Amino acid sequence: MACCIYCLILMGLFCVSCKTSEHVDMVCTEITANKNYCCEDLGLTEIPKALPAITEILDFSFNFLPSLHNSTFNMLKSLVYLDLTRCQINWVYENVFQSNAKLNTIVLTGNLLLFLAETAFAGPYSLKHLVLTQTGLTSIMFIPLHNLDNLETLLIGSNHISSLELPPNFPTRELRYLDLQMNNIESISTRDTKILKQTQNLTLSLKGNAIVHIEPGAFNSSSFYSLDFGGCIDISVILAGIQNIQTVILWLGTFQDVEGTLPISPVMLQDLCSISVENVNLQMRHFRPLSTATFLCLTKLRNLDLTHAGLTAIPPNISGMKMLKELNLNENSFQHICNISSAVFPSLTHLSVRMNLEELNLGSGCLEALTQLQYLDLSNSQIENSDCCNEQLKGLSNLQYLNLSYNKQHWLKNGAFNECAKLEVLDLAFTHLHISASQGSFHNLHLLQILNLSHTFINTGIQHLLTGLQNLVLLNLDSNSFDSGIILNDNLFQEVPSLKELILSSCELISVQSRAFHSLRDLKHVDLSHNKLTALSTEAFSNLKNMYLNFANNRIHFIPRDMLTSLSGKSIINLSYNPLECSCSNIGLLTWYKQNLDKIEAPEGTVCCEHKSLAGMKLSAVTLSCGMGTAGAVFLALAVIIVIVASLILTVRFLKRQYHQI
Amino acid sequence: MKMLNAASFILVLLYAHVSKEWPTHTVCKEHNLEIYYKSCDPVQDFALSIDGCSRITVRAFTIRAALVLRHSIKKLFLNVDLIINGKSILNYSSTLCEPGRPRFTFCGRMKGEHIYYEGPVSLGIHELPQVSSLFSFLKCKSPVGLWEEGRGAK
Repeated sequence: MACCIYCLILMGLFCVSCKTSEHVDMVCTEITANKNYCCEDLGLTEIPKALPAITEILDFSFNFLPSLHNSTFNMLKSLVYLDLTRCQINWVYENVFQSNAKLNTIVLTGNLLLFLAETAFAGPYSLKHLVLTQTGLTSIMFIPLHNLDNLETLLIGSNHISSLELPPNFPTRELRYLDLQMNNIESISTRDTKILKQTQNLTLSLKGNAIVHIEPGAFNSSSFYSLDFGGCIDISVILAGIQNIQTVILWLGTFQDVEGTLPISPVMLQDLCSISVENVNLQMRHFRPLSTATFLCLTKLRNLDLTHAGLTAIPPNISGMKMLKELNLNENSFQHICNISSAVFPSLTHLSVRMNLEELNLGSGCLEALTQLQYLDLSNSQIENSDCCNEQLKGLSNLQYLNLSYNKQHWLKNGAFNECAKLEVLDLAFTHLHISASQGSFHNLHLLQILNLSHTFINTGIQHLLTGLQNLVLLNLDSNSFDSGIILNDNLFQEVPSLKELILSSCELISVQSRAFHSLRDLKHVDLSHNKLTALSTEAFSNLKNMYLNFANNRIHFIPRDMLTSLSGKSIINLSYNPLECSCSNIGLLTWYKQNLDKIEAPEGTVCCEHKSLAGMKLSAVTLSCGMGTAGAVFLALAVIIVIVASLILTVRFLKRQYHQI
Repeated sequence: MKMLNAASFILVLLYAHVSKEWPTHTVCKEHNLEIYYKSCDPVQDFALSIDGCSRITVRAFTIRAALVLRHSIKKLFLNVDLIINGKSILNYSSTLCEPGRPRFTFCGRMKGEHIYYEGPVSLGIHELPQVSSLFSFLKCKSPVGLWEEGRGAK
């Protein structure tokens, strides 16, 4: 008895250990076969042996590897990208990556590194990106520089580094991005920046460091692509220290969770005059006061960001801002668009006044001076426009992109956008539009390609609503309703023959007539999801080759096979979240579905309807026997043959007997 | 018999599957206020506490919160829906981070970083509603990020 029990226990333990080791080896998720694997958060203590040796990309984050040795990764000789985020790594010994010649990216974020051996990064032929964010570094000297000559990116943010000083042999030849944000650097000296002067086109981030002193001349003659001092308390300290530098971008904004920042007086920006810069960001900085003097040293800028700067008006008598191309005035408090004094910036090509904190009045002719303007964003600015939009857009003859979405209401008059004949993109979404039936609001927009009318409560029964839009490629009518929920054959889409993409989701549609989209010969992408359609009306489309159709979240039960067979080429169809019948009456769909899995989008959500025996089963897994089938036919044929043969034999015997009697 | 019991016990231990539902944390337990929370994130719990439950006002109260990022913060949205007794008393949504508009210092922080916040928070409502004899329990509405407050009798 005891023997039997012993055997049982041994067998049980054997089965468990087999299953356990097999479980560990197979748990990583394959992203791309033989190339990309994700082993995130699996409690692993070593690289799974089942990983293919030719793996190139490996996410091994949130596992457990307290120390790295030269044998840890030696199986993965083709590794290119390795993510070791939060693996509780403390010790990185010598030659850890000696077998990984192709490795170009190592991510060690969130590991408290107690030791990095001198040859820790030896091995890779050309290591390009090294991430040591939040690894407990107190000094840049902690990083061994052996074999880092080709380094392009070094991320050492969120550490405890107090000095910017770089060692003499720090790799500068290929370095393009040095991230030192959120460290403890309070002071920068000339000695600290000596090595940085050897870099080219560097992006240097010192965001979140409480810098209180920069030695005069520390950055003399330094050249950068981007310098980020975000969140600094006093920008005059920064500007004084970076005189005579060249940079394309200078980020001097701050953040909502930084307290105690000093408001900017005009004299604080004086040092900008000696800095060669194109693009300055001053987001969330407040000006005390904002005057013409504030702009004295901003005259050479091409791009200025004054987001959330507490602005109510820009002084109209500022001079010299002729070079400015892009101006960002989002999240300010202008009551009238004329208060931005657009004439001060005659060369603007991009203007953004979105998310205005007050109701913005667009007035008349306030933007007339902006004859070069190509991009105008006035979204989410509480605009109510009773007479839109020729007076408001007067002079904007070069406008290509206009965003008036997420506002209160627009009343679109006849030829509402006559001033902007070159418009290519028009976004009016999530704003109540009032359009009279007799007017052609868009009739001169012959170049318009994209029109967003989502959630605008427009009357889709207006036959000539889209007149003039002969080059329209994308039309979004999401959440607009159609009369009685039906798209008729005779509809507004006849005015947009070039349409390629049509969005009609959430339009409360019940049906689509059989020729509704026949005039749209170039149509390739249609979204009819989240409606109340009960039939898959593919006959409404003139050409079903290489077509994308989204019929998800409707009320379709049955789909005849001939509705699907015309889908050809690389067509994709989404039938998910419909109450599809999985019975013999729907065998046409079920058969086609299994034969065309490559055409199916969202197969996980394409399941049998809830109220029958196969409820919830994926359509691809359904197997039904309907009618006789092949086996049945063979059986029947055999039976017929046997009957015939038996009849023949009986007949012959009967005839023989008769003959003998005779 | 004893051996069989031991074997069964060992096998049960080895096969035991710990379900991954995060615990309900108690943030406040005062005579007139109880606040609990539970993480609906499928991969991790997070930490939250309020300084001085008895001193909470709607203007501002101090919290401390911490979590480890499982994704880098490129875009971050905040949606808050506070429902008491079937009535929505607070509905708030805001974009905290997006490319080109980093409102906070934690925008752009990387996967694996530990984020810790200690500081004031404002609810943005004028007064806390008076409720009596209400015991609220929390259940996750969907795998990530949404809470639904259920009701139970006290």
